[in-house]
Amino acid sequence: MTSNHIPLGLFGISHRTAPVEIRDRVTLNEEEQKIVITAILKQFGVEGCMVISTCNRTEVYVSGDDPQSVVPSIRKWLNEFKNTDHFLNDQLIYEIYGSSAVNHYFQVISGMDSLIVGETQIAGQVKEGYDLAHNLEATDAALNKLFNFAMQVKKRVRNETFLCDGTVSISFAGVELARKIFSNLKDKEILVIGAGKTAELAAFHFMENEMRKIHVVNRTFQKAKDLAETYRGQAYQLDELPDVLRKADVVISATSSENYIVTTEMMEHISRERHHQPIFLIDLAIPRDLDPGIQEIDGVFLYNLDDLNEIVEMNLKKREKELPKSQKIVDEFVLEFQKWNSNNSMASIAGRLKKQLDTLRMNEIDRLKNHLPQEGLNDIHLLTESIINKVVRQHIKTLKKNAGDPERYQQHIDLIYNLYELEKD
Amino acid sequence: MKLFSQILSYALPFLYLGVIYFYYMIFTGKDKRLETKTTPLLIGLLLVHAVEIISRHIAIKAIPLSTSHDAFSFLAFSVLFVYMILELSLKNKGSGIFILSFAFIFELVSSFNVNWTLETNPLLQDPSFAIHASVSIMGYTALALSAIYAFMYILQNRNIKKRNLGKLFVQLPAITYLEKMSARAVFIGIILLGIGILQGHWVANDVMGSFWQNDIKVIIIDSVWIIYVIGYLLSRLMKWRGIYMAYFSILGFIVLIMGGTFVIYISESFHSFY
Repeated sequence: MTSNHIPLGLFGISHRTAPVEIRDRVTLNEEEQKIVITAILKQFGVEGCMVISTCNRTEVYVSGDDPQSVVPSIRKWLNEFKNTDHFLNDQLIYEIYGSSAVNHYFQVISGMDSLIVGETQIAGQVKEGYDLAHNLEATDAALNKLFNFAMQVKKRVRNETFLCDGTVSISFAGVELARKIFSNLKDKEILVIGAGKTAELAAFHFMENEMRKIHVVNRTFQKAKDLAETYRGQAYQLDELPDVLRKADVVISATSSENYIVTTEMMEHISRERHHQPIFLIDLAIPRDLDPGIQEIDGVFLYNLDDLNEIVEMNLKKREKELPKSQKIVDEFVLEFQKWNSNNSMASIAGRLKKQLDTLRMNEIDRLKNHLPQEGLNDIHLLTESIINKVVRQHIKTLKKNAGDPERYQQHIDLIYNLYELEKD
Repeated sequence: MKLFSQILSYALPFLYLGVIYFYYMIFTGKDKRLETKTTPLLIGLLLVHAVEIISRHIAIKAIPLSTSHDAFSFLAFSVLFVYMILELSLKNKGSGIFILSFAFIFELVSSFNVNWTLETNPLLQDPSFAIHASVSIMGYTALALSAIYAFMYILQNRNIKKRNLGKLFVQLPAITYLEKMSARAVFIGIILLGIGILQGHWVANDVMGSFWQNDIKVIIIDSVWIIYVIGYLLSRLMKWRGIYMAYFSILGFIVLIMGGTFVIYISESFHSFY
C-alpha cells in the first residue's frame, strides 16, 4: 500500500443510472440508514461508513484499508436488506474508489452531479447523511476530513462560480421576475385567479416571500375561500375581479376558462386608475386567461408559461457553462485531500513511524554492534522490532480512538510528527 | 507639490478607467470572485482622488472649487463617494458601471481643464463662496445620480417588457427601486442646488450690490432649477408614470450640463470660473 492510497470507496444508484421507480425502491429512510451503517461497520470490518439517500440517489461510502474487497459483500447484504435485486445489478450500480470517490463526493455536494445542475438542496442532504453517521460514531478520520473539504468545495463553488445562480423552477422564476419589478415583496399584494393545484402552488411560492396580503378570485366561491384562508387572505366572486385588480401588485391566473378572464380593455381602464403603477401578471393557464394585448400597456408586465419555461431553460444552460470552472475547484480539493491523506491517514502514519523508528533502531544496533554478543544479535533484532511494532500499534490504537473527533485526531497526528521528527510530503 | 498634484490629475482618469473595467468584468459575469473585491478598490480610488484635491489646493493656495477643473473633479469625487455608500448599503454592484462611467466623464473633463493660474475674481475672495460652490456641486451630483438611475430604469423596464433577460437584466436592480432612487435624488438635488443658487445670489449681493445679475449662466441655471421644481411638483400632483419621470430627469440633466458647458466654453459670463 502506497502513502497515496486513498482508503475510500462508494457504490450507489442515481438519476444517471436508474429511473425514478428504481431509485424510489432503493432509497433508505433515516431509520434504515442507521441500521445499514451499524451493520456495515459491524459485519464488514470497515473503518467508517456513511450514506446519502435522496430521491435522486442512494450512495454508500465506506472507508478502510481495502474498500474494494468488501463492497461486493456489502452490496449483497444491502440487496437482502432491501429485499431487491437492484444492488447486484451492474447496469444500475456504480462503484468508485480512491481519489475518484473523493472527486465524486465533492461533485455531489456542490450540485454538479445533480439532476438539476447547481441545485443547492443536495448540500443539506449530504450534511444530514454525514451528521447521522457522525452521531453513530461511524465516521473515521478520512470521512471526517472528506466532509470537511466537501463543505469548503461547496462554499467556493457557490461564491466563485455561477453554478447555483438563477432560478430553475417555473414557480420560482415568477418570484424572481417579481423581484426585478418590486424590490420588496413584503409590502405588495397578490391576486390569485383560480383555486386549483397550479394556482395554489404558485401562491405558496409567493406567500413564502411574506407578501402582505393574498386575494383569491374563483368561479366557485367556496374554493376561493378555502385557499384564501390558508394564508389569512380574502376571497371574492369572479364578478369582483376588476375591483381586486386595482389593489393587486402581482396577479397569477390559472383557471380552466376557455375565454380571456382579463381583457386588454379591462386592464387599460384599471391601469389608468392605478396611475400606471407597475403590475406583474403571470398567466399559468392553458388556454390563456389573460389577453396578450395587455403586455402593451405601460406599467403592465405580462408573462406566460412559455416565457417562464424559457427563463428556466436559459438559467440551466448558464449553469452548465459553469461546470468546468466548478470542476477546477473540485480538482484543487481532490489534490488537497490526497496530500492530507498522504500525510495524515493511519496507514501513512503507521508506515512513516515504523520507518523512522526502524532507522533509529538500526543506527543504535550499528553503534553498539561491537559491544553486543554476536550470537544473540538475531534475538536483539527480533526484540527491538517487536518493541517498535508495539509503539506503532499503540499510536494507531489511540488514533483509531480519536478518529471520530477530527480535532483530537489532528492533535495526535501533530504530536507524532513532532515527537518522532517525521517529515511531511 | 504642484508636480505631484499634476501627476495625480492626469493619472486619475486612468484609475477611474481601471475601476470601471473591474465593474465591467462583474457586470458581464466573467469572474464572480471580483464581486467581493470592490470595496477596497473604491476606497482606494476615493483616497487617491482626495489626495489630488487637497494637494492641488495646497499647491495653488486658492479657495477650493474656484476653477472648472476643481468643480468637475469635485463632481466626479462626490459621484464616486455617493456610489460607494449606495453599494455598501444596498449590496448591489450592477449599477457601478453606469454611475462610475459618469464619474469618469466628469474626471476626464476636469483633467483637460487643469489651470494653475490663481483666480482673481472678487467673488472668489468671499469665504461663503466655498459653501455656495460645494452645496451646488452636491446638488449637481444628486441630479446626475437621478439621471443615471432614470437611465437604468428605462433599460430595466425595457428588459422586462421585451423579455431581454440576459446579463443586463440580472445585474440591474428592480424598476420600482430605480424609480424611487431617481425621484429621491431629484428631490435632494433640487433642495441642494436651490440652497446653492440662493447662497450664490446672496454672495453676489454682498460683493456686487445686487441679488440678480443679468448673466447667461445665472439665467440658465436658475431657469433649469425652476423647471426641475415645476416638473417635480407636477409629477407628485399628477402622479406621473415612472417612464415619464425618467425621461424628465434625463432631459433636465442634459440641459443643465449643456447649459454649463455653453457658459464655460462659448459665452461671456462673470461666472466664467465655472
